[in-house]
Amino acid sequence: MLTVEALRAFGADTEDGLNRCMGNEGFYLKLVGRVLEDKNFEVLAESIARQDLDSAFDAAHSLKGVLGNLALTPIFQPVCNITEFLRAKADMDYAPLLREITEMRDELVRML
Amino acid sequence: MKIFPDFIAGSKRQILIADDEYINRELLENILSDEYDVLKAEDGEMAYEMIKQNRKTLSLILLDLNMPRMRGLDILAQMNEDPYLKGIPVIVLTSDQDSEVASLKRGAYDFIPKPYPQPDVIKARISRSIELAENRQIISATERDELTGLYNIEYFYRYCNQFDRFYPDTEMDALCLDVNHFHVLNERFGIEKGDEILKKIAERLEAVFADQASFICRKAADTFLVYCLHQDDYTKTAEMISSVGDELQTVIKIRVGVYSNCDKKLDLHRRFDRAKIASDKIRNNYTVFVNEFDEALIDAELFSGQLVDEFPKALAEKHFKVFFQPKFDIRGDKPALASAEALVRWFHPTLGMISPGAFIPLFEEDGLIATLDEYVWREAAKQVADWKSRLGVSVPVSVNLSRADLYDPNLVNAMKRIVDENGLGTEDMYLEITESAYVSDSNQIVNQVKELREHGFFVEMDDFGSGYSSLNMITELPLDALKLDMKFIRTAFDKQNDTRMISIVIDIADYLGVPAIAEGVETEEQYLELKKLGCSIIQGYYFSKPVPAEDFEKFLLEKQASKM
Repeated sequence: MLTVEALRAFGADTEDGLNRCMGNEGFYLKLVGRVLEDKNFEVLAESIARQDLDSAFDAAHSLKGVLGNLALTPIFQPVCNITEFLRAKADMDYAPLLREITEMRDELVRML
Repeated sequence: MKIFPDFIAGSKRQILIADDEYINRELLENILSDEYDVLKAEDGEMAYEMIKQNRKTLSLILLDLNMPRMRGLDILAQMNEDPYLKGIPVIVLTSDQDSEVASLKRGAYDFIPKPYPQPDVIKARISRSIELAENRQIISATERDELTGLYNIEYFYRYCNQFDRFYPDTEMDALCLDVNHFHVLNERFGIEKGDEILKKIAERLEAVFADQASFICRKAADTFLVYCLHQDDYTKTAEMISSVGDELQTVIKIRVGVYSNCDKKLDLHRRFDRAKIASDKIRNNYTVFVNEFDEALIDAELFSGQLVDEFPKALAEKHFKVFFQPKFDIRGDKPALASAEALVRWFHPTLGMISPGAFIPLFEEDGLIATLDEYVWREAAKQVADWKSRLGVSVPVSVNLSRADLYDPNLVNAMKRIVDENGLGTEDMYLEITESAYVSDSNQIVNQVKELREHGFFVEMDDFGSGYSSLNMITELPLDALKLDMKFIRTAFDKQNDTRMISIVIDIADYLGVPAIAEGVETEEQYLELKKLGCSIIQGYYFSKPVPAEDFEKFLLEKQASKM
């Protein structure tokens, strides 16, 4: 079961995240559970796979906002990075960044 | 102005959260739902629909820029185009600094970055934006004239002043626009149509000045003020505005007073006073519709103001003197003194003799004329009484009654009292009424004149032939003499040397059985011709200019001697 302590151990800035939830732990944990279902993770991966950088940017950008709001720093950071590369339409291999995001997300999923 | 407490007790302000991310919507709703009624939209199209549906109740929109189906910036742009949506404040939710500037430029009130700041910060930003927007709505409601939607005068001056502060060197014109004889339009068509005309004029003014820095207000009734960039000619402007009459199937003439490239050292009120002076100057001119202010106008206006201000003092200190001009009966072999006209002169201690032409029209406008007239009547009556007692001889003296006097219900009593108090009879005071008085309110004038004559006063019609003569008037109005207008006589002799019109007027006097009096007779030729035409009485420089009472005595003494 997901707990605030576990999130903190994972590297989330839980104080910051809880603050945005007006200190409501249950609400915070519910939203964290919900973010893992966010279809933008899939959209991001698929868009990169078919080289649609605009669509990939939109997905990354949306994820960045949500992850930032929940202060899930270990996922938020790589999403920030990939967003900026995508914004610049950088011609590069996005696979390592994408892998990092997926790993962090999977780790969080295992905590549920 | 703090207007934050709810307008309606128990009701919360309504906020729309438009964000395609569930978590973001939930977070904001959780923060705001205690204080606000929260609506949520999941994509751009849905958001725009909800904004339109709830435009009357929405206090604020929290708008994510990056939404499917319709982008936030597009929603902002659409809202800006729509006057019903324009006033709703929008706070943009964004994680991009670039977008912050773009959205503020498109009319967003504020932005909230992602990740969101502390809930207190979000709440403070929201409440501040709502307060600003509500204040702005109140201001825009109070700064406008209800009828036309133009600025009202107070705000107009504020905006003009603000403009001047930032553009001190820009050449500006102050315009004052009046609808020529608007009260007549109101009379003819009714107030409702009058209002419609004013609204159309306001719309046209906004259209005419739309493409330049300008401020427009309705000052009062049918007076509009415009503060705009300098231009050389406003003839076209006046025509374009006047053409609203075409739409309304009536003729509307707008007159424009222009204070061109105005002196910014003068305060705004004075700048627009100058434009107003220029406009008023052409009020009765039916061919000129644009008039530029020049310094000579202000001099004339200042002089007029001075005369009006100094009137009470001049009256108290007897600076007004009554002069007398003899009228001679020329029907016999030799002209014989018949009567005199009392004429007022103003001897100003510093300005010298001021022409009656300078102050009488002014006092007529200001209502001071009644006081001055009564003063002249009293002085004239006193003088006649003095001559009678001291010299044992006198002639009737005619005094002038202004239009205003004829509306005074106490006129007959006042006249009677003056005559009685000086031990005179009504046969000693003749009354001259101006022809133009008749046109204003015929019945009242006719009744007043009838009553005066019933009391024995001799009533002369002054200025006959000066422009308003109507045959109807002379058959309706009982009179004792017809005085031919001075200008009328001058024109007859000078320019055309055609005295046929004089002859006709004399015939009219004959028909009415009253003497014809010619004034302004200056030459022997005129005198002889008038005599030949059958004119009864003559007044003018040929015999004597108006003279002080003591100089007039010689005419009385001559008359007395001729009788012996």
